[in-house]
Amino acid sequence: MLPIRLSKESREPIYHQVEQQLKALIAGGHLAPGMPLPSIRALSKDLGISVITIRRSYQNLEAQEFIETIHGKGTFVAETKKGMMEQVKISSVYESFEQAIQNARNYDYTEQEIEQIFREVMKGEEGQ
Amino acid sequence: MSEWLRIDAVQKTVDEFRLGPIDLMIEPGTITVIAGMNGSGKSTLLKLIMGLAKLDHGRIIVGGKPVGGADEDWKQHITYVPQKLIGWDPYTGEALKGLIAPLYGGWDEELFQKIIKSFNIPLSKRFGKMSPGLQQKLALALALPRGTRLMILDEPMNSLDIPSRKGLTDLLADWMEVEERAILMTSHQVEDIRKLADFIFLMQNGETLGHYEKEQLTESYRRYWIDRMPDGEIPEELARGHMDVVTAMPEAAEQYFEKHGINVMDQSGIELEEIISYLLDQKPLRRVSGIEVPDTKVPDTKVPDPKVPDPKVPDTQKKG
Repeated sequence: MLPIRLSKESREPIYHQVEQQLKALIAGGHLAPGMPLPSIRALSKDLGISVITIRRSYQNLEAQEFIETIHGKGTFVAETKKGMMEQVKISSVYESFEQAIQNARNYDYTEQEIEQIFREVMKGEEGQ
Repeated sequence: MSEWLRIDAVQKTVDEFRLGPIDLMIEPGTITVIAGMNGSGKSTLLKLIMGLAKLDHGRIIVGGKPVGGADEDWKQHITYVPQKLIGWDPYTGEALKGLIAPLYGGWDEELFQKIIKSFNIPLSKRFGKMSPGLQQKLALALALPRGTRLMILDEPMNSLDIPSRKGLTDLLADWMEVEERAILMTSHQVEDIRKLADFIFLMQNGETLGHYEKEQLTESYRRYWIDRMPDGEIPEELARGHMDVVTAMPEAAEQYFEKHGINVMDQSGIELEEIISYLLDQKPLRRVSGIEVPDTKVPDTKVPDPKVPDPKVPDTQKKG
């Protein structure tokens, strides 16, 4: 079973959540090129969402050349271009920072204070 | 095949009960779960599809052929597992297989043996001597290997234990891996709907309440925890607690909160079970001090009424 976790809290549509998480698994190297993906019906059952939604995620990933479907054989992780992987990694890290900064702003932290927190967190990480 | 299963304006009256008019189309590659309260007409609809009762009005097309017509070719495309199998009691599982398997050219013996083994079904035992759960397992073991294009199941999980339910869920998902197949089933189990349904067909009092794609349903309901409860109803309000409101129109509700200076502290999607309950219940429940009180107002969810100022209902109007 793929480690995909759908968020009930998020307003992001389900098909997009599936698409983004599969992309992250591929870009992170957890799903290597050539590896088979579950069938649409099997993933639908595992995640408890319809085949219509899963098909939409798969079609989008296929259009972006992350996966490919070989008729009669199934769906596989495609040989992805290096540039695309980098893009996914960068945008994923950007997104996390943006969320953290938004969170801090909601608590009325100043820019300086946010930078201070960032440095402390980095230092803590290094210490471990 | 152009028309897999098409139900057009079907009506049927049985004693006091009126079914329909019902319209429903089943597409290949999909699983549709019919849900509704007891007596809503689910099983009657399945029987009509199988031609086990005559239609009063409308028509049903299976595999391009009308049910009840002279050409009975449609019957070989369809497998039906009713809740109660009549006439099977004196036969053993082995004998039943001997009667059924030769009727289907595409009989999958390997799948049959696999189901018999995984469900531990004693083939030498008479059907009538089996427990309801075992009878159900054997009925399914004799249904799935037929390899028909359509599978119609009336409450297939009903008497199954927990591991068998999971087993059957996996079997049905596997069965759907072959292209150009479809399942139409009834169920009272939300877990079946969650894991298997692509479409949900809701019935109430013999009528169609709605036909939904699963995510279309789950993505259009939301619960918001807010810092101040408004006096009026929020758009498409279905329920409210001390701190939370449930809406069937998240965008409109969010605009409403903004306009009225209400802050959203948290929000979440809603479980299918709760959504289906709202839809089948029709009477929006309002929680007053933890006690559920049916709303006395005639529910008109399309037009929210801002003139309902107080969620408290006078004692005289409380029911139940």
